[in-house]
Formats: sequence, C-alpha cells, structure tokens
Amino acid sequence: MTTELLHHVLDDRATHTPGLPAITLDDEQFSYGGLHDASYRLAVWLRRIGVPRGGRVVITRPNPALIYAASRAGAVFCVVHEQVTGAALEHVLDDAEPSLLVTDDQADLAVRRGIRVATTEEVAAAATHERLAPVPAPEPGDLVSLIYTSGSTSRPKAVVSTHEQTVFAARAINARLRYRMDDVVYVPLSLAFDYGLYQLFLGALGGSHVWLGSSSDTGPALLRSLERSGATVLPALPALAEALAWLLSRRRTSAVPSLRLLTNTGAAMPQETLTMLRQAIPGLRVQLMYGLTECKRVSIMPADEDLRRPGSCGIPLPGTQVVVVDESGVPLPPGHVGEFVVHGRNVMAGYWRRPELTRERFPRPGVLRTGDFGWKDSDGYLYVEGRRDDVYKERGFRVSATEIEAAAHGVDGVRQAAVVPPRDDHEAVLFVVGEVTAESVVDGLRRGIEPYKIPRRCLVVDEIPLNHNGKVDKKALVTLLGRRTV
Amino acid sequence: MDPAISVREAIATVLRRELPDIPDHARLFDDLAFDSTSIIELLVQLEDRMGVRVDPDELNDCVFHTVGTITDYVTKNLA
Repeated sequence: MTTELLHHVLDDRATHTPGLPAITLDDEQFSYGGLHDASYRLAVWLRRIGVPRGGRVVITRPNPALIYAASRAGAVFCVVHEQVTGAALEHVLDDAEPSLLVTDDQADLAVRRGIRVATTEEVAAAATHERLAPVPAPEPGDLVSLIYTSGSTSRPKAVVSTHEQTVFAARAINARLRYRMDDVVYVPLSLAFDYGLYQLFLGALGGSHVWLGSSSDTGPALLRSLERSGATVLPALPALAEALAWLLSRRRTSAVPSLRLLTNTGAAMPQETLTMLRQAIPGLRVQLMYGLTECKRVSIMPADEDLRRPGSCGIPLPGTQVVVVDESGVPLPPGHVGEFVVHGRNVMAGYWRRPELTRERFPRPGVLRTGDFGWKDSDGYLYVEGRRDDVYKERGFRVSATEIEAAAHGVDGVRQAAVVPPRDDHEAVLFVVGEVTAESVVDGLRRGIEPYKIPRRCLVVDEIPLNHNGKVDKKALVTLLGRRTV
Repeated sequence: MDPAISVREAIATVLRRELPDIPDHARLFDDLAFDSTSIIELLVQLEDRMGVRVDPDELNDCVFHTVGTITDYVTKNLA
C-alpha cells in the first residue's frame, strides 16, 4: 500500500504488527489493531451523523482513534488544548465552523451555534459498536487538520494541512529520529500542538508505544511517570527538561530512567541542562530540533551533534531546503544572518480563512517565509537568532503580544495594555493602565485566553510611553522594570 | 522563620505577584493558577529559602493540593 493518506500510516502498522501496543491513554492501552478497528468504526459513525467530506471535527480531549477516523472519513480534525474553554473555544467554533464538537462540559457553546455535540462516552460507544461499512476515501490533496497557533494577529489562527503534507513531514522526521518497535514514547504535551500530535504518527511509523501523559504528570510526578511507562523516548520542551534534571539531582535512590532519546523544540535548550541529564542518564542521546507549525519541522540535529556544534538546531529535513535571504529576498552566503525561507513538501497549505496572511507567509505552494532570523554554517547547519514579529515563547509555547494585548483590552477597567516580550534579563511583562490591580487583570485574562499564555508579570502603570511615531515605546517600558519591584 | 510565611513568600516569587493573606485552604492549581512547571519552581524556591531537601520519590499530588498542605510538607521535612 502506498502511504499517501494520513490514516495509511496507521493501516500499514496495523497490517504488519496489529498486536503491538499503540497508545496508552488514561491507563487504558490500545494495540495498533485495536486502534485501526476503532478508527474505522468512528469513520463510519462520523459519516452517519452527518460530518461531510471537508467538515471540521473539533476535539477537546486527546483521542487518537478519532483523529485517524476523521482522516479516514475525509473530515478535518482540530484538537484544541484542554485549557481552551469559554471565549477561546468560542473563537475556535466561530472560526472553524465545525460539523461536530466533542466535549463533556462545553456543549452549550456549540448548541447555541447549531453545532452537533458528542460526549467522549458517545464516541467511545461508537468506537466499539458502530457497524463496519465502506467509507469513501479522501484524496491526498484534501485537508486533514487545523492546528491553532498564535502569531501577529489578535486571535489564534489555524494552520491548514493536507494529507500529503502531513505524511511527508511525518516520514521526513521519522527518517531522522527513527523511533523503534521497542520504544515507549512518553508524551507530556497536548495533542493540540503539532509537537504532541505528530508523536502519534512517528509512533505508528516506528511501531512504538505512545504513552500520553496528562499535564499533572509532568511536574514533580514526572520521574514516576517516566518509570511507570518505561519511557525510552521523551519529546521535551526546555522547562520540562529543566524540571527533569532538577528532579534527578534531588533523588536519593540510584534508579535511573530508561530514556535513550530526548528531543527538544519550542525554544533553545540550555546546554547546562543537557549536561546534567547526560550525567544522570547514561546512554541518553539528544536530538535538538527547530520548527514551526506552518511547516511542522524545519530542521533536526543528528544525535548528540549539539556537543560538536553548540547553538545549532540542525539540518533541514531530508527532501527540503532552507534558504537564508536578505530583506529583498536575495539568498545570502553561509555565516550571514537573514530570514529563513523553507522550500519543501513539509510546507503546509496556509492559514484557515486568512487569504492575505497566507499570501504573505506562503508566497507560493511549498514555500514558507518563517519570520525567523538566523544563519547557516558552511555544512548547512542552521542557527536561529530570533523572530521579527511580536511572537515569543512563554513556557515553550508560541504567544503573540498582539493577542495578549487584545485580550487585556477586553478586561473591565483596562484602558491601555502593552506586552514586552521576554529578553535575556527579564521575562514577558504585561503593562496596563486603568482602574485595576495586577491580580484583577490576570483573573480577567484567565476568562479570555488560555492560562499558559498569560505573562508571568503584570504591572499597573500610570501611562504607557509612546515614541515619536505614536507607537508604544517598548524600550521605555523596559526601563520601568528596573525601577519597580513586584 | 515561620514556615507559613516562607511558603507564602516563595509562592509570591514564583507567581510574580503580591499575594497578601492567602488562606491555608487556597488551592495551588485551581485558585492560584499554578501549573506543573511552576510547582517545580516552587520546590526550588523552598529549598533555597528554607533549606528543605526534597525527595522526588516522596512527592505526591496531596502535597501540592493547598497552601496548607505544602506548608505541612515543608514543616515535616525541616526537622
């Protein structure tokens, strides 16, 4: 069978090794054969309840079978983070206009919009009892997923991917990481992020057991979670790797996790953390990576290459190219800093219902202007220096200053708001003007946007300084930081 | 120093905000918006401030339930 559609990744695996464990979720284990069967029944169910080809299915709880079912039924899945509730979920529903929302506690938001709702219980019943029937297959160029992400707009926007783009990206990453049949991949990340989501596909390609952790398993319980699952692979973010290194350093027993591979993306990994982890876990290898949802992954380091090329985030995926260009789009030689432009079949289809922004960032099919700046060495290794726009990382997740500012303006009593993105010497700070306290602003924000996006510091100030262009003077704001203590 | 006060100072530092008079029954996750990463930061703070030595194998969810339970844990491990 040629692997062109996303669910073929699962079908190939289920054909060859149906008995291997595929997923553990909430202490329940599914084999590849079982996952295949459940996804087939759910695909029939999706068609029966009226989800059309191209119809969106919004999923609020991790559900690998339903993700593959949407693929099989020609529908478009969209997994949202568990913290996307209330106004943030309403935005997704209004933007994606789904045919189905799977939720246990936010049904009213969908019903009000005439969107069909299913509970996780109803989905579980269909996964077991729905009668098998033929399902017409989608085309490789059909859309398969929407992944919401932040960036230079006041509300999150969705990156649209087709089957062939998703399968190409998954296969290209697999060629570099090579998960194995005896691997247990412990996933501490939400499937709403592409880094978490693609663990499902990489696991299926490798025949690995993908163990989905919950967010409460990733703090002090992280070591125990790794041991209980028998994890050999950990897709990490810097904060999580730092937590792991700290926990290992405090441990009184000599037990060591069975990890053989740690990957990182999202933000630069401190070398000191890697040194600690390598000392504590003999045999651990590290592969640093760089990517953005718009093309899933840009580059991956060979194992432990960070020891030889500190600061690099690797070489482009096989079959893709990264060109460093100047302001007018002219390619630059090695060693010169410019914008990374990605050329390859990993470049996704664009932004959902944002034609102008799509034209700007995706000038033609298969080409992505990343908005990230950096340089290439003479061997083709990439080094990221920073971003041009107002997007930054909070706890490893992408956050847009514009989005936070818009949300802050929606809080009662706030007259002005400005976010200063994090720098080496301070973290992201939200400045507000109005009849409010820092606490009331943070509480208000929690009702409008996901808590993980909220800056760690909020300062109420008398006024927000403007520069001679009438724009917020973020440099002047930074100087306020030094003068105040919180 | 009174552990109850040190714990509150550590929490204020991790959350980067003034939190006067948090009651013992305030829940770290639900009321104070802690996440799993900030819990680790809190442990680091408590070690630095109070000289508590944390053993990850002894930590369970009950320890991090409320301001009161974390204070109890710290007090017990000071001895």
